[in-house]
Amino acid sequence: MSLRYGILGLLTEEPLHGYEMKSRFEALLGRTWEVNIGQVYSTLQRLERDGLIEAAGERGDRGKLAYQVTEAGRQQLAAWLTAPETEPQDLHEALFVKLLLLRRLTKGQVDTLIARQRRVYLQRLRDLATLERQARQEGRHDLVLLIKGAVLHTEADIKWMDVLLEEFPSLESDRGGTPT
Amino acid sequence: MNTRIELTNVSKIYNGGSKQVGLSDVSLSIPSGQFAAIMGPSGSGKSTLLNLIAGLDRPTSGTVTVDGVSLGGLSEAALARYRRQRLGVVFQFFHLLNQLSVLDNILLPAQLAGMKTATARARARDLLDQLGIAEKAGEYPARLSGGERQRVAIARALVNRPAVLLADEPTGALDSRTGEQVLDLLVEVNRGGQTIVMVTHDAKLAAAYAARVVSLRDGRILDDAQMQPSSGRSVSDLMQLEIKEAGK
Repeated sequence: MSLRYGILGLLTEEPLHGYEMKSRFEALLGRTWEVNIGQVYSTLQRLERDGLIEAAGERGDRGKLAYQVTEAGRQQLAAWLTAPETEPQDLHEALFVKLLLLRRLTKGQVDTLIARQRRVYLQRLRDLATLERQARQEGRHDLVLLIKGAVLHTEADIKWMDVLLEEFPSLESDRGGTPT
Repeated sequence: MNTRIELTNVSKIYNGGSKQVGLSDVSLSIPSGQFAAIMGPSGSGKSTLLNLIAGLDRPTSGTVTVDGVSLGGLSEAALARYRRQRLGVVFQFFHLLNQLSVLDNILLPAQLAGMKTATARARARDLLDQLGIAEKAGEYPARLSGGERQRVAIARALVNRPAVLLADEPTGALDSRTGEQVLDLLVEVNRGGQTIVMVTHDAKLAAAYAARVVSLRDGRILDDAQMQPSSGRSVSDLMQLEIKEAGK
C-alpha cells in the first residue's frame, strides 16, 4: 500500500493539510487501519521536494499548510493508477527458514511444525469468515472483497502446507539438507 | 459427552485391478453433539469414511461403531434398518423425488421407519418451519431453487431424529451465498444437539462452520484440529496493511 500515491490521489480531489490527509486516507480504507501521522508528514515533504505537490496558499490556522497536486504529480498518479502491481510476492520466509533449520538441527519435528502452522491457517479461515459475515451485515462490500482476497491467500497457504507435508521429508537426501 | 461415532483401526482396501487403499488404519471418535468436518482432496478417503459410517460399505479391518452399535455385526437387513432409523444423509445433488411434494418427500423416511402419520406430519411441519420453507410444503422439488431443495433434503434427513446427520458436500451444487445459508442452518441444527459429520473438499467451509476439522490425505488422518470460536480479532489484526514510505 503506497501512501505516496494515496496522498496524490486524495490531493487530486481538493487541497488538504496533513491531518486532513490522515483522516481522509483512513476514511478511504473504511476506518479499518490507522495511518501514522508522522509518515504522512514525511511523505508530504518528499512529494513536495520531488515537485509532485505544492503548497496551496499561505499557512492557515495554527500554521497548517494545505497542499495541492502539481501537473507532474497528476501525470505520475495517472501512470501508477493504470499500471498493474509487479511487487515481489510476499512469501512466509520466516516459516521456510524455520523448516530448513529444523531439518538440519533436529529430526522429525518438521511435520509437527507444518501441521501446527496448518492449524493456524484453518483458524484464520474461521476468523476471516466471521469478519466477512460482519462486513456483509454492515454493508461494507469493499471490505468483503478485501477479506475474500485474504481467504484465498490463506487457502493457498493451506495447500502449500499440504505440499510441504508431502514433499519436505524427501528433501532429506538432497545436498542442501545435509549439515556440513 | 457420549461417543456417537467410533472408528477403531479402520482400513479399507478396494480390490479392483490393483489393490487401492481407501482408508489406512484410521481411528476416530466423534462425540455426541459435535459438528465435525472431514476434509481432503478427492481420493483422500472422505467418501470411504462416510460410506463406512453409513453402513454402505464394510471395512477390510477394524470396527465402526455408531450410537453404541457395532456395524460389523449387522446383517444387510439390519444395516438397512440402521440407516433408516439412526441416520440422516444430505447429498450434494439433493436426491429428492420429483414426483412427490416437498411435504411427502420429508414424510417418506418417517413412513418407512414406521412413524405414526400424525406424528410424522407434525414433525415435518416443525422442520419446514425451522428451515424457513413452511410455505413450500405443497410445492414440487422442480419448482424450487437449489437452496430450497437442499433445505428440503435437510428436513427429510432430520425427520426421524437421527443419531447422526451425514452431509456429503452439501453445498457443492450451490452458489457460495446460498451454500453459506445452508451451512448456517446446519449450525442451527447442531446447536439443537444434532451430531453432524460433513464431508467437504473446501477448507473455508470446514473451518468456518465445523467445531472440528479432520483432514484426510491418502487414506490417513493428516490432522485433527479442534477449532476455536472466532477470536474476535479485527480486520486490521488479521490483515496487515503495509504502508510504505514515499521514495527516497
